[in-house]
This record gives sequence, structure tokens and C-alpha cells, in this order.
Amino acid sequence: MTDSMNRRRFLTVLGVTGGGSLALSACGAEAPEKLIPYLIPVDDQVPGVATWYATTCRECPAGCGLHVRVREGRAVKLEGNPEHPVNGGRLCARGQAGLQGLYNPDRVRGPLAKNAGGTFEPITWDDALTRLGERLGQAPPGQVWFVTGHEAGTFDRLVNDWLAALGSNGRVVYEPFGYEALRHATRQVFGTDEFPWYDLAAARMVLSFGADFLETWVSPVEYTRAFTASHAYAAGKMGKLVQLEPRMSLTGANADEWIAVAPGTDGLVALALAHVILRDRLSAAPADAARLRPMLAEYAPRAVSPRCGVSVEVLERLAREFASQPSVAVAGGMGAQHADAHATAAAVHLLNYVAGNVGRTVVFGLAPNPAGSSSYRRLVELVHAMEAGNVAVLLVHGANPAYATPGGLGVGAALAKVPFKVSFARFLDETAMAADLVLPDHDPLEQWNDFEPKAGVYLLQQPVMQPVFDTRQTGDVLLDLARRMGDRVAARFPAASYQEHLESAWRGLHRRLGGRESFEVFWTEALKRGGVWAEPRRRGASLAPGAERLRLSPPVTPEGRFALIVYPSSTLYDGRGANRPWLQELPDPITKLSWSTWLEIHPDTADRLGIAEGDIVEVASDVGTVRAVALKYPGIRKDVVALPLGQGHTALGRYAQGRGANGYALLPAEPGAFGGVVHVTAVTVHATGAHEPLATRGGKTRQLGRGIAQAVGLAALLKEGFEPHHEQHAAPIPEKVEEVLDQWQEEQYRDWKERGNYAGAHPRWGMVIDLSRCTGCSACVTACYAENNLPVVGKELVQRGREMSWLRVERYFEGGGPDPLEFRVVPMLCQQCGNAPCEPVCPVFAAYHTPDGLNAQVYNRCVGTRYCSNNCPYKVRYFNWFDYQNAADPAFAWPEPLAWQLNPDVTVRSKGVMEKCTFCIQRIRGAQHQARMRGTPLKDGEVVTACQQSCPAEAIVFGDLNDPSSRVARLASDPRGYHVLEGLNTRPAVTYLARVWNRAEV
Amino acid sequence: MATLAAPRPAPAPAPPTYREITRDVAATLGKPGRAYYVLLGFVVSVLAVGVFALLHQIRYGLGVAGYRPPVQWGVYITTFVFWVGIAHSGTLVSAILYLFRSAWRTAVYRTAEVMTVFAVLTAGLFPLIHVGRIWYAYWLIPYPNQRQLWVNFKSPLLWDVFAVTTYLTVSSIFLIVGLIPDIASVRDVASGWRKKLYRITALGWRGTDQQWRHYTRAYLYLAALATPLVLSVHSVVSWDFAMSIVPGWHTTIFAPYFVAGAIYSGCALVITLLVPLRKAFKLERYIHEDHFENLAKLLLLTGMLVGYAYAAEYFIAWYSGNDYERSSFYFRAFGDYWWATWTMIICNGFLPLFLWFKKIRRSIPAMFVLSLFINLGMWFERFVIIVVSLSHEYEPYAMGHYTPSWVDWSILAGSFGWFFMWFLLFAKNFPMVSIAEVKEIIPMPRREAAHP
Repeated sequence: MTDSMNRRRFLTVLGVTGGGSLALSACGAEAPEKLIPYLIPVDDQVPGVATWYATTCRECPAGCGLHVRVREGRAVKLEGNPEHPVNGGRLCARGQAGLQGLYNPDRVRGPLAKNAGGTFEPITWDDALTRLGERLGQAPPGQVWFVTGHEAGTFDRLVNDWLAALGSNGRVVYEPFGYEALRHATRQVFGTDEFPWYDLAAARMVLSFGADFLETWVSPVEYTRAFTASHAYAAGKMGKLVQLEPRMSLTGANADEWIAVAPGTDGLVALALAHVILRDRLSAAPADAARLRPMLAEYAPRAVSPRCGVSVEVLERLAREFASQPSVAVAGGMGAQHADAHATAAAVHLLNYVAGNVGRTVVFGLAPNPAGSSSYRRLVELVHAMEAGNVAVLLVHGANPAYATPGGLGVGAALAKVPFKVSFARFLDETAMAADLVLPDHDPLEQWNDFEPKAGVYLLQQPVMQPVFDTRQTGDVLLDLARRMGDRVAARFPAASYQEHLESAWRGLHRRLGGRESFEVFWTEALKRGGVWAEPRRRGASLAPGAERLRLSPPVTPEGRFALIVYPSSTLYDGRGANRPWLQELPDPITKLSWSTWLEIHPDTADRLGIAEGDIVEVASDVGTVRAVALKYPGIRKDVVALPLGQGHTALGRYAQGRGANGYALLPAEPGAFGGVVHVTAVTVHATGAHEPLATRGGKTRQLGRGIAQAVGLAALLKEGFEPHHEQHAAPIPEKVEEVLDQWQEEQYRDWKERGNYAGAHPRWGMVIDLSRCTGCSACVTACYAENNLPVVGKELVQRGREMSWLRVERYFEGGGPDPLEFRVVPMLCQQCGNAPCEPVCPVFAAYHTPDGLNAQVYNRCVGTRYCSNNCPYKVRYFNWFDYQNAADPAFAWPEPLAWQLNPDVTVRSKGVMEKCTFCIQRIRGAQHQARMRGTPLKDGEVVTACQQSCPAEAIVFGDLNDPSSRVARLASDPRGYHVLEGLNTRPAVTYLARVWNRAEV
Repeated sequence: MATLAAPRPAPAPAPPTYREITRDVAATLGKPGRAYYVLLGFVVSVLAVGVFALLHQIRYGLGVAGYRPPVQWGVYITTFVFWVGIAHSGTLVSAILYLFRSAWRTAVYRTAEVMTVFAVLTAGLFPLIHVGRIWYAYWLIPYPNQRQLWVNFKSPLLWDVFAVTTYLTVSSIFLIVGLIPDIASVRDVASGWRKKLYRITALGWRGTDQQWRHYTRAYLYLAALATPLVLSVHSVVSWDFAMSIVPGWHTTIFAPYFVAGAIYSGCALVITLLVPLRKAFKLERYIHEDHFENLAKLLLLTGMLVGYAYAAEYFIAWYSGNDYERSSFYFRAFGDYWWATWTMIICNGFLPLFLWFKKIRRSIPAMFVLSLFINLGMWFERFVIIVVSLSHEYEPYAMGHYTPSWVDWSILAGSFGWFFMWFLLFAKNFPMVSIAEVKEIIPMPRREAAHP
């Protein structure tokens, strides 16, 4: 009996091992397996209560502010910082997926050195720094080069100073999306190196020449917020967006008018409009605009129309609309970077100028270049130097030139000629694979750093948790190396750590901006808020000399070939997102495909070439060939095909590697006249005979007249109001019958509401989704994945329609052919029906109704008959076909340490159970508990669902429908409101407000 | 029914004597030949493949089957309904025709009944195979438990649980009761371990007057009890679909339509089984063209009903003016699964029209081939109703195409293995023709001395 385990002995053992484990574990990487590490609580950590840290998103150069939710020492969710001047509390899908950079299972876990056999082996930091120090010491002066991505702030200066201390000026900044054409045009037209900032919120009409500002262009969250602020329908008014581009981007899809100009001719349109405005004196143009008259004389609508394929009437009308209201013309997304992109951008600048917009909606002094001094041309210089053997040591940080450059540039071959290459990459990307030494940087969420995305906006990054792996911040590495390089160099970098270096830099900022408070207070406040920002002064600009010498030379696609547009993926960006499973699985907002590279081709063209959807096609340009899946897309001109960037990695870990194709292989290496990569080129397309199922859930692209995503024209709405779609009947139903049926339904529902659980004073949680705000960007989808622990299932299961996305953004097309093509989106989630078809059919009450009107799903009780899903008309229930939480199963979704991202407030569901949207019940209950502890009733707007929180367009409103004063209740009775499939009497809690199109009456 | 059941004149050859009947039927229980073991080995290995697929599915999850949302029910539920349907003709032949006093049933009813029990036994597996967590399937049974959890009596799936278990119970009892006098007969001629088995299972039957009096009463009441089940069980199964709001399922015609279809498919399988059985067991004297003709007439009747139901479905879908229904039925006939729909319509709606010809009704090879087509068609009928309706519901974005995987097919094949394994084992151990009842319909022997 002595060694048996009784209760007392069990508790003793538990106490000893628990205490021991606490002694052994810091709350970091060493002991991730301990469930409750706080027997003696850490001061600022209460188990079960989240801590929030403000920091800055570094997934793209936009510089959005983050609030990071940290539970028990681990970051579990990224949300926008509500006070932030850039994103105002909202965050796109790519930003949210930053968490999967932090916990990526393919992160470099410590310094690596390449051995003689060409494989990496782990070494110590000390060893690594010694090796690098030696190499730097031996390098001939001026042969040390440093490639970084866009940095703006202390690190940027540190790199420059550090290189200078080494006697080198080999700094290259490379962002694949460097907006060189726009920068070139701005220099040409306004004589400034500043980057223009477009005040979309102040414009009633936005004319975009291929700028995809809703998905990747410059600062998408900021521009989406500004755009919806002016464009969304409110009180009888709304803005208007006209998009001119040969391939309908997400921005084009949200445009009231999408005009498919011939590729490369958009500049002609801009000048034609400018011509009309000046000719008819439609606006108060600045006096010097007269200089442009002789040049614009060539661009009369009649002359331009046949070349660009836009009718004279449309050009005249657009010009008048543009000049008659506050407006702005925006130039050039990456997909519009054709050979003449700089001239197009210049033409658009001139259009803004003659319309009097410069200084009003086109302002300077606000935005530094979003790509810093990024220059493709400079990278080409470096490659030439590498090929000539003039580079002894190459350091690469935050850039992946071996992947994100045109194949013809030959970065890979050039790298082989550099004797010593060092990568600071967090993942073994293509460039890191070629390196001799990999010194992994901290994830942005583990770093001290700062960033300056706009003039007067100084953002801080602070570590939100202990580093996951044995990584070291590159700033620290540079300082350490400086100390090893002798006193002369070391003296220039006195800081003991990068954090100290950063603080000392901020002391300078404090002297300028700090006012009377001490530095400590200034610093702490800045950390708390995420940075400091001040309202900058806006400036206009005037025409530079020679601006009138603009010449357009639209590129011509040779006969028999297609103009290929290679555009940034709105989920994977330039490919850096490809190792984030959330982003891989997130359906592209336009095509709804995931995990693949596709070629968008007009249905008529595809039919002509005998290409079926899902066929693997070979796309060949003068410089390369790639294979992609053919997708019939009605939103593209018949002479144009398009291909997204982002896939085709040969490295970058399990999620990215060997998937799809890299569109860069098709692009010419020669920089365009503006100095950047030309993203439009001529190609041929052939079917290869191979075929694969499209990786999408999307069944039908048309809504079969069912009124799922409804829309109304502005004029019709104002004149006749909105009449929701009704189910079609063969014969008109007598009014009396309809009345009786309605009454019967009403009575049945009322009767049912008054019985049992459902009766009483409970909230009725409801949601309103305003489709005139929703752009379809899908940030909400990723927010749902993050909040609700949705597993990523991978390409093969997506091809079988088994993705688990509780919230999906359905996309439909309407019209087309002679009518304008309409893009409709509808975020479809559980409608939390008052009269839910899923509930009565469950034999075990796993689907049941809560008193506050939610359709709850009790995972523990679910047996998995799946009848609920069959009976759900909205098809928003998702079944766990596999065990996504079991490491021994092939479908395992969270390889360590990816599992650390799981929200501890939400169950991870097991194999064989049904799951679905819960309206973020954990957030509802959390807010209710807070209110109860506070002793006051829950206020409207206190419960915020994850999708609502993330939405850059603020299209989602959540609250209590039973409270007539709540925002959601008011919006639910909006005249534009409708329920999807209303005729089924399901009584959904989600009301959609019909989209409004602001179209010219024909 | 009455016309169908009209007693036919005795066949031309001289009727067998009581002794011959006992001898012939008992002979079927003799030492099995090589062919029997080969066949049994084959069906058991098919079953083993199914069991392997099932274990694989339990280990990795239902995802190994071909499901593609929104099609959440596929081959398993199709096969479930198929086997439940098969089960129906057994009770019809044994109970309803018994009540109608149709004498021709005596030679075939045992086969039909055995088929019923084993078909229900097979069908009953599928709701288990198809649920996500088979290890919790017992939660569908209302039993008192400390967690105070109860089942949802509103759910048609629960009604299904009751319908199937009731049917299994009643049809098993009916079969066993009917077997008692026959077991006693073979007990008297058997030897070895089987004699012991029969002695126990015959429940002390000695054929006394009193025993016969009680027996016939009991049999009559059981027949009366089983009769409503023929209508109710498959009606309940049909409500699994009809109670939902899925276009293509939500229709009042489903109960009679399913019952007719069930009897139709059951009769077809009876024919499929009888033809080889009759040959192998040399029962041509007992099961002859008349029996097939009567079954054929039943097939013709139910086939016409089923054909009428098909037409009515399309008509109502059109006449209702309901857009979703119209779209669903258009998709059924001309969408991705047109081949399944037309297989079903041709096999079930057109082929039985050949039964108007007496020549075909009385041709055993023709009936055999026809019955195979009807079996195929009836499986596809359920496939069309279930899969095709689900793949084209309300939400156009969420429509999708389902293709079964190797697991679905293996388990489907395994279910046939399971059914035939029981059937073969039964056929060699129990009389497949009712000795007692066949004796009832032949003329009374004149000379007492011949009677054992």
C-alpha cells in the first residue's frame, strides 16, 4: 500500500512538480508544454485575462497600428489599433496573418551556417558573429552590400551608418512593389520626390487608372476606410468610383463603372478628360495649366476614343462629372505597370491638376514614399556588381530578390559569384537558401523597432512576448558586429543593445515633439499608444518646368498574342505571405481560388482557344514560361490575360514551396523607362492537356436570380425606394393568400417565441452587413480563422469544398455581355435564424436555440449526422471531416508552434462534429461578464465580433435587435434591408443592406 | 391484391408428396459442395474489404469518404435506404399475402423473409457507418442517463431509429415463429451437432393439434402486426427527407412513393435470389414459373406506381411554380448527374413495361436480368434523390459535385458481402422453403401409411 497513489499523495506530487516546473520555466520557449505556468502570478498576467500591447504591423509598408492580444504570455490575435492614424482599428487579412509569421513552423530556429556539403547546420550566435566579423574585416572597402526591404526609421539609419562605418555605400532597398512609375511621374510633373497622398474621403468622385487601392496599393486599409467613408450610401448620397483598367481588380469590381480600356491606353483617357475640362472650362484650373493647352490639343476625345476603346460620349460625360464635384484621379497599381506607366501616371497628375485637385484631394507633405528609396534599378546595379565579382559580402534583410525579381535578371546565378552571403531572413526563403550564413531576425512581434509610414507619424514596435526561437534582432547583430570591429567603429555605436539605440533615437524625437513631459513619460505613452503622431501640414504642388512635354506611347501587343497583366495577389502580396496558411487558404476576393496560381482569361477567348476551366495552360512570354490553371473570368478584356504573383516558391517552407507558378518568370528583366519592373508583357497561351479541379468552394458564379446579393441603382433607390427580391412564382399569388400566409407565419413565430426558453427579456443578437460598404476584401474571413481556431485544410480538401471558413465571402457576377458586368459580394455566415431549420432535425439536440436567439452548436453532444447542414439553406455549417488537431493525422492543422496561436477561449473541435459561426459567443459572454462585474447593463456596441472588428470598410454592425435604440436595430429596419432567402421563413438575425450602384443613367 | 392473389390451378406435373417435400427440403441442408465454400469465401472477403474501409474511416474520419459539401449524405444513406427498401417485400409476401390467403406465397415467402431480416440487419449498419462519431451513436437511443440528456423527438432521424429497430424486431420474430414447425421437421432427419441445434430451436415442437392451433393463431396475429409496418417503416424513412426543406426532398408524395419503391425493389431482389437458389437447391418442383409470374405482376404494379411518382414529382415541381423546385428538377434531369437520373428512369420506369408481356413474365432468365436492372435502378433512385438534391439547393455559391471515393464503394460492396454471408449461412442451415406451408397447399395424402 505504501506506493499506491492516493489523493493526498497525488496532490503532493502535483504540488512538487508544479512548483518545480515553475522554477525551471521562464514563460518563453523552454517549456511550452506546461499548462498553467503561474503558480506565483506574474504581476501583469492574470491567467484567463488577456493583455493587449500596441505595436506596428510590418507585413507591408503601409504601417498599420496593431493591438496584440496576449494570453498567458502568448500572442493570440492581431487587431487594429483604434486610435491609429493609418488604420483606425482595422486590419487586413495579411496584417492579421502576421501571427502566423511569428508562429510559423518553418521559421529559422537559430543561426545556421552552410557547410562544405551545401547544407545548413546550426551554429551558435557567437560563432556566427565571429565568422561574419572576420569576413567583414577581410572584405575590400566598398565591397560590402546590404539589401533591405523598405525600412523607415531608426533601423534604416542604423544600416546606413553601419555601412558607412565599414566604408561602404552599398545599400540597396528593394520592395518588389516600389511604385517607381508614380514616383517618376511625380518628379516629372511636379518636380518633387515626395509621394502624393490621395484624400479619397474628401472626393465625391474617384477616377482610378488601375490603382488597386482596396487590395494592395500603397496603404489598402487606410484607403479602404477613406474610400468607404465617401463612397458608401448614406442618407440619399454616395460617392462614385470609376475604374479604368483592362482587368477588373477588386477595386474595379467595387467601382460603379468599370471601363475596360485597352491595356496601356489609360493615359490617353486621362489626357482626353483633361482636354475636355480645359476646353469647356469646366473647373477653376490653376493659371499655369494653360501651358498644357497645346499638348492637350492632340487628345480630343474624338482622336483618343478609337485608340483606347472608350466612346466619345463616355469621355465627355466623365470629364463633366469629374470637374463638377470634389474629385480625385488616382494612377497606377502594380497591375497597370506597363511600359508606359510613368507617362500614364503623369497624365493622371495633369488631369488632377487641370481639375484643380492638387492641394485639395491630391496632397503632398503627408506621405513619404511607401517604398522608401526602393529601386529596382539599384538592384540591377547590384546584380551587375555581383556578376563582375565586385561584391565580397552581401547582407540581405527583409527582401527576397532571388524570388521577387524577373527571372531574366539572374539573381540566383549572380549570388553564386558572391563569396559570402548573409541572410537575416526569418524563413529559409529563396535568397536565404543561397546564403552562407543565416542569422534569423526576430519576428516583428518580438522586436523593438520604429517605423515612419507617413510624415509626422512615428510608430513603435515592441516585443509582445518572449522570442519563440533562438533568434536575434538584426539591429542587435549589427551593433554587436560593430563592437567587434575595433574601437573606431564601436565608438560610433555606443548603445549596448538595439533597444537602447532606439530609445536614444527617440530622445531626439522627444526633444522635438515631447513638450514638457519627461522622456520616460513620453516613451511610455508612445509605447502604450503605439507611437506618436501629429497632424502634418498638407501641401499642394505646381507644375514643374517641362511638365507639358509629356508624350504618351501606349505599348502595343503584337498580333496573335495577349497582353499579360501580372498583378500582386491581394492575399499573398509579393509572395511574402505564401508561407502563412491563413493567406494560402483565404480565397482570392475576385476569383475565389486559393492555394494556386491561375490565369484569368475571358470566357469567349477561352472557348476560342479550346481551354476549359481548370485546364493547365502554358503561358509563354519572350523571357519565360509558366504553367497555371485556367480560370474563365468575365471581368477581363478579350485581348488580355492576367496572372497573380505570390506563388511558385522553391523554398519558404511547407506551405509555400512547390505551389503554383512565379509570374516574375514571365517579366522582362530590363527596367522600364521609369526604373521599375514592367508588369505587363505579351504572351501566348496554350492548353497543355493537363487538368486539375479548381481549389474553390465556389459552386456557381451566378446567383440564378435568387437575390442572395442584392443591389439597386442610386437613381432608382431615390425615386422608387428599394424593393427586395421575391421568390419567383409561376403565376401571381392572390394578394389575399399572401396576406394570410404572412399572418400565419407571423403568428406561428410569435407563438413559438413566447414559449419555453425563448420567452423573456433576453437580447436577440443580430447583425447588419451593409453591402454598399463591403468591398469583399475578406479581412473578416481571416479574423474569423484567428478568433475561432478554424483549421486550415490545404489545397486538396479545398478542391473538395471542405474548407472550414465559418464566414465566407460569396462572389457573384451579374450582367455582362452588352450590359455592364456587376460584381456582387455577400459575406455569408450563420444567419442565427429565429426559426432555424437546422435545429429540429438534430436527433440529439446538439443544434439548439439559446435564450438570446443564437443557434448554438454543442460540439460535445454532436454525433455527426450532418442533417443540420443538409437542412441549412445558407450552407454555413462546416463538418470536421478529419482530425485537424491530432499531430498523427495527415490533416493536422497546427504543427508546433502554430498551435500557440489558438484562442484559449474557443474550443478546438474534434473529428466528426459539426461547427459553425457562433456570433463570437465567447466575446458576447466576455462582455456580459465584464458588465456584470461592473454592475451596469451592457451598452450597445460593447460586443464586437471578430469579423466586425477587422472590417476596414466598417460594413458590419452587431448588437441587440431587441433594444430598439441600438445601432443594429435601427439599421436592420433600413429601407435597403433584406434577408437572404426570406421566403423560407427562417427569420435570420443577419440583415443585409442592398448594395447601391451610382451609375450614370443611360 | 385479390386478383393478384387468385389461386392458380396446380401445375401440370404431379404434386410432390409430403414425404418428398420433407426429403427435398431437408436435402438442401446436406453437406455443402465446393462451390458453396468458394462463394462463401468470396462474400466474406468482400465483407473484409468493407470492414477494412470502415476501420480506416473510423481512424481518420469521414473525410476519407467522397463527401463534398454541400452533399453531406452520400453513398451510405443511399445504401441505407436501398437495404431498408429491399426489406419490404419480405413482410409484404409473408404477412400481407398471408392475410389475403394467397397460396402461391408459400414456396417463396421464406426466402423473402430471410432476405428481409438480413436486409434490415444490413441497413441498420449504415446510420452508424455514416455518423461522424460512431462511438457515440448510442446517444440516438433515449435511455436514462446521469447527464439528463434526452433525444429530440422532433427529429425524423430519431423516428428512423425506432422504425428500423421495430422492423428488425418484428420481422425477426415473424421469421423465427414461421420456422418452428420446419425446424422440427428437419430435426427429425438431422444428425450430429445440427440435431442439437434444431432440438433447441424447435422449441419442443411436436406437431400436436394444440400446438398447431396456438401456432396458427400466433402466426395470424403476428402477420396482422407486421402488416402496418410495411407501410409505416418506409414512410418514416421517407420522412428523413420529406420533413426537411431541401428542394427535391420536401414533398408530400414521398411516403407512398417510397413504400411502392421499397416493395418494388424488394420483389426484384427476391427474384434475383430465387433464380440461383432454385437452381442450386433443385427446387424447381416447388418454385416454378407461376411464382415468378406472380412476383412479376407485383413488380409491374409497384413499378407503375413508382413511374407515376416520378412523373408526379416533375409535374409538381413545374406546377408549383417554385423556383427552387424547378431548378432542382431541371438539374436532376439535365445537370451534372443526368446519367444517374436517366439510369433510374429507364431501369425503374421503362423496363418494367416489358412485364406486360406474359412471355417475359414467365421467362426465368428474362426475369432474372430484369430484376438486376431494377436493383440497379432502385439504388440510383435513392442516389438521385439524396445526392442530386443536395448538390443543388438554395445557395448557388455553395453548390457542389460529389463523387464517391474508394471507401464509399468498398463499404457499399462490403454491405453486399455482409448480406450474402448471412444469407448463405442461413440457406445451408435452415430450410429455405417452408415445409409446413407447402404441405398445406398440396392435396391431402389419401393413404395414411405413407405418412411418416
